[in-house]
Amino acid sequence: MKSASSAHRLFSGGRVAALAHNTLRELIRMRIFYFLLLFALLVIGSSLFTVQFTFQEQFQVLKDVGLGAISLFSWLLGLLCTALLIPKDLEDRTLYTILAKPVPRFEYLLGKLLGVFLVIAAAVGLMGLLFLGVLALREQQVLAETARTTPPEQLADALRVVRQSAFQWNLIPGILLIYAKALVCATLTLLISTFASSSVFTVLVSVVVYVMGHLQGIARDYWLAGGEASPLVKLMVGLVALVFPDLQLFNVVDEIAAGKAVSAVLLWKVSGFGMLYTVIYLLLAQAFFSQKEL
Amino acid sequence: MSTPAISVRNLTKEFAIPFKKERFVAVRDLSLEVPEGEVYGLLGPNGSGKSTTMKVILGLVSPTSGSTSIFGWDSRQVESRENVGFLPENPYFYKFLTGLETLLFFGKLCGLSGARLRERAHFLLKLVGLENAAERRLGGFSKGMLQRIGMAQALIQNPRLLVLDEPTAGVDPAGSREIRDLILEFKAQGITVLLCSHLLGQVQEVCDRVGILHRGRLVREGRIEDLVTIQNQTQLVLENASPELLSDLQRQVEAAGARLLSETKAQADLERFFLQVTEAEASRHSEVRLSSDRS
Repeated sequence: MKSASSAHRLFSGGRVAALAHNTLRELIRMRIFYFLLLFALLVIGSSLFTVQFTFQEQFQVLKDVGLGAISLFSWLLGLLCTALLIPKDLEDRTLYTILAKPVPRFEYLLGKLLGVFLVIAAAVGLMGLLFLGVLALREQQVLAETARTTPPEQLADALRVVRQSAFQWNLIPGILLIYAKALVCATLTLLISTFASSSVFTVLVSVVVYVMGHLQGIARDYWLAGGEASPLVKLMVGLVALVFPDLQLFNVVDEIAAGKAVSAVLLWKVSGFGMLYTVIYLLLAQAFFSQKEL
Repeated sequence: MSTPAISVRNLTKEFAIPFKKERFVAVRDLSLEVPEGEVYGLLGPNGSGKSTTMKVILGLVSPTSGSTSIFGWDSRQVESRENVGFLPENPYFYKFLTGLETLLFFGKLCGLSGARLRERAHFLLKLVGLENAAERRLGGFSKGMLQRIGMAQALIQNPRLLVLDEPTAGVDPAGSREIRDLILEFKAQGITVLLCSHLLGQVQEVCDRVGILHRGRLVREGRIEDLVTIQNQTQLVLENASPELLSDLQRQVEAAGARLLSETKAQADLERFFLQVTEAEASRHSEVRLSSDRS
């Protein structure tokens, strides 16, 4: 039999796809999707236990709980999966066998990360469908009840009010933004895991960065308020902003949940910000990982 | 002269010791060359620098000074690993994959795909005696089975060089003999093998040359027969020799001015004895089963 081709391609989509598929398979076989049962309980529970409220309040609670839980679960999922992957491969020496094949280190990182992205996409997709399904079901129940109890001359207005407070199309970009935020956090975790000594350290640092990412916007506004900040403070604030992503930007999802109109420009801006940070963190992860002694 | 399969030139590898100024020198000024088609044994006690040398050759760690190359490609370049199969010591693969999935995964990493890859994977599973474990997850494999699947993944892209780190660790004598036979078969096919092993008997059987490392230095290197043959001694093994013949021989030896150093009963080595016993038992069991099936 002839030997494998000697013309090595510097980047191979096939190799990255094999690594991503394997990561996806690993995470699926770890049965991580059982957490969806918890999510289902939360969403269905929040729709059942609020029946004594007005329908506006019921829908609001459902949206707050639903979007909040999607955000929390997708972040946690991305954090834990990413924090486990590389240290586990290193401890199990699986990494040796993979990198002893003609696999550039960047492809290994990218493949692992894409696998996690796929898992988060599947999880966010399933949670989103479940959330929107419960919301639609509740909407139908409230519409039927309104139709039964409202006089015919007021029915059209009443039904419109119900519809306006239930499903809105901007819930879908809201869910996509939650996904974008989870990707930023997962890539950040990947970056930390390239120089961390253990999974526990990676998780801890990642949680700290997550919290700082939410606080840095507030800190920046405080320090720069009034325009009297010294150049040193400005430099410090700039550095913090460079290292920690401003996760407050993703709070636009709260406004979507509250039913406020959010401009498409803002949605694109936040998505672009998420993509930029994802790329920067991936490149930094590669810079560390390429120098790592295995 | 053709490009050597492995070339190590003045390799030194130091590791920083956390919280200390001094550095640990794992390999010191090591130079060696393995020509294509040779089976080379890298020997040495634990901590002598064998694994570090292998890792540098495979590009897993970078040299502090000096260089290593595979078929002329610097080890730091990904291309150098195009034609290399590596079996690490105590290999751990993904436990969630089946035997077949493992080979397909590693095959894809080597750029193989489709029917050709499947064919190759099934061929290798058969070669290492795991065709019945193709659909079993590695989590349930014994140590010996893991070693075999490790050997199969190392061979997936039909490499020209095999780097085997303790390939028979944890394998029973029958499995160990099979691996030895496989190495001899690779040698016959012209595949270069770099072998790290503590089983010196096995190294002696399969290797053309060996290098002995001690505290990171190459202390001896050469062809096995040159290293272990005692030039001024000859060994005779006689069958059915009477005591009279033996005393005649002894007299002639002394008359010629030579000296008889030892005279012992020849012994089969323990490995061969063990295999004879276990194989005889296995065939006796299958005969008993066959006859009880018939009755």
